[in-house]
Amino acid sequence: MKPSASHRQIALAAVAGFGLAVWTFPVIWGLLTSFKTERDVLAYPPVWLFKPTLDSYREVLFGASSILPNIVSSSIVSLAATVITMLFAIPASYALARLRYPAKRASGFYVLVTQMLPPVGLIIPYYLVLQKIGWLDTYTGLTVIYLTFSLPFAIWLMVSYFEDIPFEMEEAALLDRAGRLRALWYVILPQVRGGIAVTAIFVFLNAWNEFMFAVVLGGNRVRPVTVAMFNFISVEQTLWSRLAAGAILAMLPVILIGIFAQRHIVKGLTVGAVKGGGRR
Amino acid sequence: MSATGSVRFEGVVKRHGTTTVLHGIDLAIHPGEFFVLLGLSGSGKTTALRIMAGLEPVSGGRVLMDGADVTHKEPGERDVAMVFQSYALYPHMTVAQNIGFPLKMVGVRPAEIERQVADAAAKVNIGHLLERKPGQLSGGQQQRCALARAIVRHPRLFLLDEPLSNLDAKLRLETRLELHALQRSLGATTVYVTHDQEEAMTLADRIAVFMEGHIAQVGTPREVFAKPRTMAVAAFVGTPQMNLIPGTWANDAVTADGHVLQVAQTTPAPRDVMLGVRPSDMRIAATGLPARIERVEDLGDSAIVSLTAGGRPLKVKGDLQNGGKRGDRVFLSFTPQAAHLFDPNDGARL
Repeated sequence: MKPSASHRQIALAAVAGFGLAVWTFPVIWGLLTSFKTERDVLAYPPVWLFKPTLDSYREVLFGASSILPNIVSSSIVSLAATVITMLFAIPASYALARLRYPAKRASGFYVLVTQMLPPVGLIIPYYLVLQKIGWLDTYTGLTVIYLTFSLPFAIWLMVSYFEDIPFEMEEAALLDRAGRLRALWYVILPQVRGGIAVTAIFVFLNAWNEFMFAVVLGGNRVRPVTVAMFNFISVEQTLWSRLAAGAILAMLPVILIGIFAQRHIVKGLTVGAVKGGGRR
Repeated sequence: MSATGSVRFEGVVKRHGTTTVLHGIDLAIHPGEFFVLLGLSGSGKTTALRIMAGLEPVSGGRVLMDGADVTHKEPGERDVAMVFQSYALYPHMTVAQNIGFPLKMVGVRPAEIERQVADAAAKVNIGHLLERKPGQLSGGQQQRCALARAIVRHPRLFLLDEPLSNLDAKLRLETRLELHALQRSLGATTVYVTHDQEEAMTLADRIAVFMEGHIAQVGTPREVFAKPRTMAVAAFVGTPQMNLIPGTWANDAVTADGHVLQVAQTTPAPRDVMLGVRPSDMRIAATGLPARIERVEDLGDSAIVSLTAGGRPLKVKGDLQNGGKRGDRVFLSFTPQAAHLFDPNDGARL
């Protein structure tokens, strides 16, 4: 290897290492905090060497302030939002990518516009609407609210996957006597499997990590884990180690999904960056 | 030859918005025929093929297959198979699954599918590649896979859209021969789109020459080459392009730039004319049309000589002995039978 090449690699590694450090520091700090006692947490200067304890985990899992029910809540809402989103987004994005119909451009743009609205501006209207129909603090209510932003996002993301499949592929299937639905099922969907997986993961993670709508529109019955963690911060005191333990537990599924789907996600983020033009 | 597989276009019109792609096409393709749609890109040939396939709706006119009106039938209801220019193989399926897909869609039993897939694959010599995915095949193998997927169904009509255009030159020649043999052995009606006139000449039973949304001529390769119906067809078919020389026609001679050239036809009254002579029909001779050699392209077994006569570029194709070199002043002659005469205004053959 030429020296310049290895210098380059060292420089790249240094930059990458620095970036990684910045990103992982909070997570590592949180991880350390979750194993500390409250006294060690508040020690100043911070202690790096301490006697680790699982007390916080025991407390947030099985104690009086257990977040297990909240993890269940989060799972229900996130899974429901993901499944329903994909159920509608797959046919919708296929249609947007394929069919020629009047106002196609306008409807595609509308989908994008809904992503531009600041969510905080929607909280009060949503609250009033849900209150009116009695859906406050219900799984239905929160799931429906999540759909309002996950559905446009999923459609917008998946359209580019469907557009990447050449028209001829479908035409070949039609000539092979598949008909439109079976062409979609046997020929198109298997080819966008990766894109569907990525989109589903994004939708799930967005719902799982969501806090603002959950804290306002949820309640005692439906309290996702993000909100439950927030309850460790109160006027009298902040239970930092429990908060950290809760955060680590809440992060686990996210991290697992991330590791599992890393390859797909990177592909998903760069899709459309380089796209073969010249399609009809 | 099979008795089915006739196609008929009756006044087929296709418009995309305000542009008209096909201006009322009439066409009759006979059962068992190898029929080539030849034309430049944008001439409407591919649109015509896609209309046969049912992939494009018509704006007017009727399409009949074996006498039945299929104008509004779905692609899957027409019993036609198509090989796309891009092959359109299903990338997530193996070669065997690709070939078997049209059978699976009509509910053929798996054991029977396997038998027929092996059969079709053997016909195009890809029997050993059945477990591969299309991405693991060479261009030529992909093309064969696409062919096998078409023949496995025994459709009444094969539609091929520039199937050789993505192959390299050598493979294209080989595949062309094989394709011809395959079509003969299957005896199925085949409609083949190409812009390559050499392909058209070698493969076709009959050719339809498409120009700007019209069919300029339908005929056997020999007819189209020997008796082009219009100046445009004459210029399009044949390489190098036919030489076109404006002149005045009186009796059995055309006068061009003051030189009298004998032709086989006689005219009752003198008139303006466009004289066409194929480069291969022109000779460098002792008398005739004076010209100056500009360039000699040696093709090994023959040569193409570019000349100017009266400021007009002309070409002669022949053996090298008659060649000469750049700057030589020579005369060009041709037999009267080799002359094609066209109306200079509407381009029609006279």
